[in-house]
Amino acid sequence: MSVSESVEESEGLVSDLVLDLKGLVCPVPVVKVANAIKGLEVGGVIEASATDPGVLADIPAWCHATGHELLRIGRNGREFAFWVKRAK
Amino acid sequence: MSEIVKRAQEELDKRYNRLVALNASSLCTRCGLCADSCHFYLANGDPEVAPAAKTERVRSVYRRQHDWLSRLFPNFTGARELTEDELDAWVDIAFRYCTMCERCTVNCPMGVDTPVVMGAARGTLTAIGKAPEILVQLADAEIARAESIDIFKDMLKEQIGFLEEELREETGDPEASIPMEKEGSEILYVALSGAHTILPAAKIFHRAGVDWTLSFFEASNYAVFLGDMKRAKAIAQRIIDEATRLQVSEVVITECGHAVFSYRWSTPVWFGELPFRIRSLIEVIHDYVRDGRIQLDQTANPDPITFHDSCNLSRKSGLAEQPRAVLESAAADFREMTPNREKAFCCGAGSGLVAVEEWRDTRLAAGRPKAEQIRNTGARVVVTSCDNCRHQLGDLGEHYGLEIEVKNLAEVTARALC
Repeated sequence: MSVSESVEESEGLVSDLVLDLKGLVCPVPVVKVANAIKGLEVGGVIEASATDPGVLADIPAWCHATGHELLRIGRNGREFAFWVKRAK
Repeated sequence: MSEIVKRAQEELDKRYNRLVALNASSLCTRCGLCADSCHFYLANGDPEVAPAAKTERVRSVYRRQHDWLSRLFPNFTGARELTEDELDAWVDIAFRYCTMCERCTVNCPMGVDTPVVMGAARGTLTAIGKAPEILVQLADAEIARAESIDIFKDMLKEQIGFLEEELREETGDPEASIPMEKEGSEILYVALSGAHTILPAAKIFHRAGVDWTLSFFEASNYAVFLGDMKRAKAIAQRIIDEATRLQVSEVVITECGHAVFSYRWSTPVWFGELPFRIRSLIEVIHDYVRDGRIQLDQTANPDPITFHDSCNLSRKSGLAEQPRAVLESAAADFREMTPNREKAFCCGAGSGLVAVEEWRDTRLAAGRPKAEQIRNTGARVVVTSCDNCRHQLGDLGEHYGLEIEVKNLAEVTARALC
């Protein structure tokens, strides 16, 4: 998976929860997502925005380790956005 | 005995080495001096969270198995059988109410090393699946990066590309770079995922004219918090393999307390002699300033600055003087907290506590002594060389109305570069 040039490409994905992770740095974005995903049903989607480019490595690695599905990750200027689906 | 208790007893016994045995012996005289040195006890006054009491819960179980008198007369010696309820209580004493900061150890007349015993409890709880889930997930994510490095390489390179743009803007040098996979470099720099651990260091290396390369991996090692040394070694192995493959002269670990501590003290045990040395970024910056490789302008940091000693760096690794020497050159108004250096208070959230959201109230309460220390300095900027502390100090600033900014040493140094 590569980083989408613009998060606008991700229009069409429906999210059940939106998280604002701007200003937070590693590992807090992962911690917030891990905590929030527990509140969703299986199949539920979290949409999150962040400013730390560390999410580009941390979120895919966390999804890989936990089995949750990273639907898309993208950049819009100095912000990053990603969509994670609860898989189990 | 249930299956889980049986497994826990086996795991506990596996960790019964000479060091644990010594600290789990009757060394403790119950003098109580440790209580007043513990930020958790100072926060809530509950004698159950005093270091001697926490250690005794684990010690009494060890005694039941390993002390001949306790085997014969457990009620007489206060020895206890392990139960599932006791294991649940250990989650609190080992993970929630102990940051393994060792402040109790340096204040103990007998030198009882409470973190050694708590580490055995943490390792046991992890092995039976009772460790905080987020710590396990973060450790697994670190291993996932190494197992599937080809998947993450492109993502990491894109991340670094964004930072390289910023580096060029800020240095005014269109050739400034954040190299990766550069064989034969002087330094392999191991950062964290956050840009604040990469960009300021890149500026310092750029100004010092260092031949360096950035690691694909992050310095943190969450398995250390879990007391899971097998997993911790696997995480450290990634860096050792990368440094060996790139044939660097030195591995420099970013400002991360537990990472510096584990690479400094555990890698020689795990891997023996290595063809490169391992140092902290703090030491490297200190040497650049001392040797005149970089010049600093104090007026770039005019606000009153204080320094928070990370337990893993100052108390456990002896890195207390180097950051102070740098701050004396980089800041116009450096003020000490009291007590400091090896007697400093823990921020209240070490050893992974900062990552466990459901225990946020516990760590904010435990940070009260640190918040009071900061307030007493009148500082507007708090510098610390540990990311764990950085998060906690930021939260303490908001919670206790301290009106502070929290920065790492490299950020303050990079800002002062002439």
